[in-house]
Amino acid sequence: MKDNDLPGPCAGYEFEIVELHEGALGPEQTHRVRAHLEGCARCRDWQAQYAALDASLARALPRLELSADFGARLRERLAGIADPTTRRDLRSVAEREHDWMVRDLRRAARRRAIIGGVAGAAIAGTAVALAYTLGPEALAFVRAAQITIGPAVLGTLGGAAMFGALAWSAMRGMLPGVRLPG
Amino acid sequence: MDEGIEQHLAAGRHARAFDLVVPAFQDKVFRLAYSILKDRPAAEDAAQETFVRVWKALPGFDGRAALGTWIYAIARNTCLMELRRRRPTVSFDDPDSDEAHRAAAAVATGPAADPERDNLLRLLETLPHNQQEAVRLFYLEDRSYEDVAEQLGMPLGTVKNLLHRARKRLMELARPDEVKAA
Repeated sequence: MKDNDLPGPCAGYEFEIVELHEGALGPEQTHRVRAHLEGCARCRDWQAQYAALDASLARALPRLELSADFGARLRERLAGIADPTTRRDLRSVAEREHDWMVRDLRRAARRRAIIGGVAGAAIAGTAVALAYTLGPEALAFVRAAQITIGPAVLGTLGGAAMFGALAWSAMRGMLPGVRLPG
Repeated sequence: MDEGIEQHLAAGRHARAFDLVVPAFQDKVFRLAYSILKDRPAAEDAAQETFVRVWKALPGFDGRAALGTWIYAIARNTCLMELRRRRPTVSFDDPDSDEAHRAAAAVATGPAADPERDNLLRLLETLPHNQQEAVRLFYLEDRSYEDVAEQLGMPLGTVKNLLHRARKRLMELARPDEVKAA
């Protein structure tokens, strides 16, 4: 087989022919490669095939442009997403609010515990003091009241006071020793 | 990178930076997606998804890589995810399948029916994927090696080499009798 029958250009000219086609060679190299091409049918043939393929690929793969509504569709999609510049701020605000809420709840619980303790101690102290002070007189007063008002009325008043206290507690979401749901 | 984008990012004005990012990169992201997915509607969807991801991630962009490199990496990942999503349902045999419709749409994106063009695109399909992508992107990007290198995240020399091997192979495939004779 003759050298000119081989596919492809002469060794060393392959890349230079491509660069000549793309206009990427300097003046000296351009002159040298052109001189070679004038005298080499095999390289001229390869150059022609390369140029034809290049043109065919350019036709087959034209520069594509986006649809005109691309931007509008993108804006529509992004409208449902929070602004990235504020998402972090919003998150930190939410976290701060949560911290404040927990701190307030703890303060309120401490305050209620202190007040409850003081009130309980006061009531117990008063009861003990009354028991010591009044003693038999208090017992005589209850008996006199039973005789004067009657045991049924006294019991009804006591029961009403007890149910009233329970109802008041239930309205506040609490029963003595029990936390009501909700 | 556009100076305006850089300034807005440095100042934490991500929404304003994004307003400049979209027009600066949308066409290149779309063409990169097309070079991978080979289907115009799918490439537009992938470009949309890319910008949604960019929008969400922009506050976390630390500038270690160039913005373009970062955006093209997101675009490539988005396209690869789309390819992975398609894989289980790929069926070229079923004329009503999504894949068949996509293939028809891909052929329909170019000029009117052209057997030479269709044959060339079929030959292109026989090349390794990285060569196919490089060839498509090179012609879609008006024969810019630099753009292809940036969008594929490859060194310029690698891209030139890939393209050279791809075109040589296409020339061989286009004239199989001559190659066999050689």
